[in-house]
Amino acid sequence: MDPMAAIRETFFQECEEQLCELESGLMRMEGGETDQETVNAVFRAVHSIKGGAGAFGLEDLVRFAHVFETALDRVRSGKLEASANAMRLLLRASDALADQVRCARDGATPDEAQTTSLAAALKALTNGDATEQSDPAEDDGLGDLTFLPLPVPVEDETLQTGGWVIKFRPFADLYANANEAALLLREVSMLGPVRVTVDRSALPDFAELDPEGAYLAWTIALHAECDEQAIRSAFEFVEDDCELVISRASDQSDRLNLPQPDAEVAGGGTAETIPTPDPVTAANVTANSGMPSDADVLAMIRKAQQSVSSSDREQPGAIAGGAQNPSPPAVRSRQDAAPGTDGAPSKNDTGSAVGATIRVDLDRVDRLIDLVGELVINEAMLTQRVMEAGLARASGVAAALDELEHLTREIQDSVMAIRAQPVRSVFQRMPRLVREVAAMTGKQVRLLTDGEGTEVDKTVIERIADPLTHMIRNAIDHGLESTDARLAAGKPEEGVVRLTALHRSGRIVIEVADDGAGINRERVKAKAIEKGLVAPEAQLSDEETDNLIFLPGFSTASEVSDISGRGVGMDVVRRSVQSLGGRISIASRPGAGSTFTLSLPLTLAVLDGMVVSVAGHTLIVPLSAIIETLQPQAANVHTLGTDVRVVAMRGRYIPLVDVGMALGYSEVPLEADKSVALLVEGEGGIRAVLIVDAIQGQRQVVIKSLEANYRAVPGIAAATVMGDGRVALILDVDAIVSVTRTELIRGDALRAEPTLLQAS
Amino acid sequence: MPKRSNPPKGAAAVKLRLDPILDIKASAPLYALLSRHRGRDLVIDASAVERFGGQCLQVLLAARARWAADQRGFLVEGFSPGVIATLELMGIEPTAFDHRREMGA
Repeated sequence: MDPMAAIRETFFQECEEQLCELESGLMRMEGGETDQETVNAVFRAVHSIKGGAGAFGLEDLVRFAHVFETALDRVRSGKLEASANAMRLLLRASDALADQVRCARDGATPDEAQTTSLAAALKALTNGDATEQSDPAEDDGLGDLTFLPLPVPVEDETLQTGGWVIKFRPFADLYANANEAALLLREVSMLGPVRVTVDRSALPDFAELDPEGAYLAWTIALHAECDEQAIRSAFEFVEDDCELVISRASDQSDRLNLPQPDAEVAGGGTAETIPTPDPVTAANVTANSGMPSDADVLAMIRKAQQSVSSSDREQPGAIAGGAQNPSPPAVRSRQDAAPGTDGAPSKNDTGSAVGATIRVDLDRVDRLIDLVGELVINEAMLTQRVMEAGLARASGVAAALDELEHLTREIQDSVMAIRAQPVRSVFQRMPRLVREVAAMTGKQVRLLTDGEGTEVDKTVIERIADPLTHMIRNAIDHGLESTDARLAAGKPEEGVVRLTALHRSGRIVIEVADDGAGINRERVKAKAIEKGLVAPEAQLSDEETDNLIFLPGFSTASEVSDISGRGVGMDVVRRSVQSLGGRISIASRPGAGSTFTLSLPLTLAVLDGMVVSVAGHTLIVPLSAIIETLQPQAANVHTLGTDVRVVAMRGRYIPLVDVGMALGYSEVPLEADKSVALLVEGEGGIRAVLIVDAIQGQRQVVIKSLEANYRAVPGIAAATVMGDGRVALILDVDAIVSVTRTELIRGDALRAEPTLLQAS
Repeated sequence: MPKRSNPPKGAAAVKLRLDPILDIKASAPLYALLSRHRGRDLVIDASAVERFGGQCLQVLLAARARWAADQRGFLVEGFSPGVIATLELMGIEPTAFDHRREMGA
């Protein structure tokens, strides 16, 4: 990737983080936490986005962020009260800012009207309370707010601003090695305000010009108290390809207190005037104005290039403190600030401690995971070979193999942990969604979330966002009643949607619950009959009726909405959940609301499984589904009707599933007392007893997607490679268990079949 | 580079449009493009430019000097504010490219 694109990508990644910070900060403020720290964190988030956007020339974004930031600044300085109204507007502004960032990233066009009206509202909010407008730029219409930079004098004046003078003359090799002078200049500008002069004396006549030569040289007056190393590191990769002279500028002035506006613009900063800081919060306020944001931007770029750890937010704060004290340099390159060696004893002030982290390309992690998967398989093969060679269990080789297995397992766990992420990133998108859908439907909704810290594989996180979004839309649009209906039903007018994540027996369970009217079963059934999904005379239990909404072709799109009815039905939700190896179920109580439960594997890469034989085939049953294994007695097995068998267990009758028959491996039912039974629990706590020929053992297997390599097969979740090199299929316990339930579901499975065949 | 004889005065200015990405890969094509129009008045539309690098800057500056020496118009218009900021970071005012001559009718 070319360096500019890489830096740009990092910028957008950082933006996402800032946006999360922004939203959670605003929500804390909405909840009454209007302390300086929270407000500062919010302000800083917007400011950082603005700073970075300026550096990348995203003017629309800069313009909007500026208006937003101005409003936040009023709040911060106590000139604007964080009233409920103001907070609502600020939250909407944060949504709009997020949109703009994404539009800028994807090259899409943001919703101009929305932006304009929000910006106007923000300005009204700001001006309504503003007593002093120090910045003329804030007063001229939105159209030409801030970013239009002031012209920088190009005359070759003596640079007496203090800080550093950098003479930079690229050689042709610098360009030939895919470096870009403009980018280097920009990087220097991120250390602080700069004034750049260009030396074009070496530029030949056009006719003699080599378009790929290097003729221009630059002199940069850098207006920052950083150390030389910070500057050198900007040129780190090009040191051999350019002439670089860095020297201290002779200076006397108190530079930090007198930033030069034009220089600041050139520095990718802003044209705003720094508000007079409240003395008490001087450190913070100064830290958030002007220059230090550049340091933040620099940090972004540093991270991209070097994957360096460290950087606390308080470091910019140290600048203000250090301003009185010209040496030693108060600002240090983030790169130098390695944890432990950093003199500043500061802990993060925003509460979200920035640990020592690195940013790694996901592909690399995936590759590692793949390799570890292969290692596990290889280790299993090796063990098998050793056993086949007839070495005694007690031999040294066997002991060493045990250790190897241990180690492999540990490596695997550690690698998996790299990919594990809290579901917070997905949950954080939901408040906005709720606000939007609530506004569209005219309902009052409160979103309660719990378990944001629950960790799950990144792939799972990425892929649950869409289904979850749809479920929440549904919960508000179809689940919750209108305000009038709620009041009539004696409920509080504000509906509650609850989003919960938790770990349960090796899986992650996500629940979306509403306190609405519950599923209107009459209507659902009528609709299903109308659409020919069930026979009119079918007798359906409540649960079965509820599950009708998951059927393909059952859509509620004829109702109100462009909200939930965007052509995506619950069947699509179910399918996407299933493709993750997950299940979705619904529980609904009339008048009390509905709960959708998603259950997903924590990782899509490995699985602990029971290896069983079924009619000469080797299958893996996920261990997480197995409750116990048993040897059923023929006397305990009863046949109901013609082909349904149940096992009496501890006073209960549990359906019995012959796996061989269910998968079509055998035509003859397995005799219960000649088989081994596994008591399994599927989604929604539905239990069944699976009977198989024998249990071979228990082991961890590496999941290989069947869909990716072959195609989806009903009843089979995935495949794996065994120690002897053979492929074994991993049983989809839920699908198998559902075989025991009603004609309806079987009908559903049958309906799915032809599609699959066509798809192959 | 073959020298071209000046076309008759009064010929309409050539309108060119710069590519969005003027990075190291774009400098040679840009040079070739400008060379083709030596001796003509140029009006260059820069509104599509998103990225602007040092080598393309060199080409434009050298061209501007040449055109001025040839007494030809050389006008670069419509830089976006973002690109202007980049130019300023390179110590260049956007008008630095322009050489106005009374352009032919």
